[in-house]
Amino acid sequence: MLRLLTFASISILFAIVTTRAADRPVVVVYDGKPTPLVTSAEASRDLWITMKDLKRATGFVVKPQGVCRDELCFPLPSKRKAEFVSKRGSVTWFNLAAFAGLVKQPVARDERGGVWYFGKREDERGAYIASLEAPNFTLPDLNGKTHSLTDYRGKKVLLITWASW
Amino acid sequence: MPGWQKFYHDLNNKNFEIISIAQDTGGAKDAAQWITAAKPDYTALIDDKHLVTQLYNMVNVPTAVWINEKGMIVRPNEVAYVDNRYKAMHGIDAGPYLDAIRDWVANGDRSPFVMNEQEVKERLQAPSAERSMADAEFALAEYLHKNGKVEDAIPHFKEAQRLDPDNWNYKRQAWALTDAEKNYGTTFMKEVQKLNGKPYYAPRKLPQKQ
Repeated sequence: MLRLLTFASISILFAIVTTRAADRPVVVVYDGKPTPLVTSAEASRDLWITMKDLKRATGFVVKPQGVCRDELCFPLPSKRKAEFVSKRGSVTWFNLAAFAGLVKQPVARDERGGVWYFGKREDERGAYIASLEAPNFTLPDLNGKTHSLTDYRGKKVLLITWASW
Repeated sequence: MPGWQKFYHDLNNKNFEIISIAQDTGGAKDAAQWITAAKPDYTALIDDKHLVTQLYNMVNVPTAVWINEKGMIVRPNEVAYVDNRYKAMHGIDAGPYLDAIRDWVANGDRSPFVMNEQEVKERLQAPSAERSMADAEFALAEYLHKNGKVEDAIPHFKEAQRLDPDNWNYKRQAWALTDAEKNYGTTFMKEVQKLNGKPYYAPRKLPQKQ
């Protein structure tokens, strides 16, 4: 019995050690939504995640024409594909940090907590300046009921920000 | 807020709405008492991620935007006080601005205070790369703070402030969350003194009514 337990604990320990050597738990915050996932530990400025996690965390999928979500598609430069996509064994990994660089998306990172915060891509920033359509938002009132700016079409709206601090 | 409630009530126009939005990381915990006290009939929302600050490229409060019936911006970001309580500090008279809103509500697009597209575009600026990075750092800091990593959040709040030094929302919110003197080596009042005559708000230019 004791021998069996020792064997079991050594196996578990081994499994933990090998997992840790290869993968690190991180939290990716994308479009404001946090997703805990596991990254393959390599160069620390890269964030290699599985295709499955890419979809789960960001909604993007890699297609022949590029990295796409609904109508939106960002082609990957063909000569630099290896910077973004890497197949190891049966798993294909995607470098989300390199992709952020490609689409000019700011990334803030907390090393200690393993949190990667992806900000607004260049194509999203200030897009309203061309159309002058007031950017929409959906926020709660004190009772938790949500309101969107677009609910108020047909009225003049005076938008005022304030703060308690 | 009680001032805006009176203004809204007196205008009494069903085609005009005030949407007031609290920029408060603490959410309802911090903002509720002010809203409850003012009992607004207009729409009072709570933005605990400073989304509107980011979306509209704002740098201080109170900041207002005029949006017409079609959802188009007809006066972009500008300082919007409803009374003269803090006039000694910033020198901005509330009266002419309230008159301008009344004129807009009465005359719509014919109001001289409504800007044409060209004027609005000249006043709007796409956020700089530094501002966008500051937005991400601030949002990361807020995420950490809300998840109990109060100490870990501070360097990211500082980075946001370094990247966008004129953004008072990012400074004052961070200072209010912990001991500003201890963690940031400053306070709001000290920073205001450092302005030394430089205006806290971008000057507001209202046209003379014909």
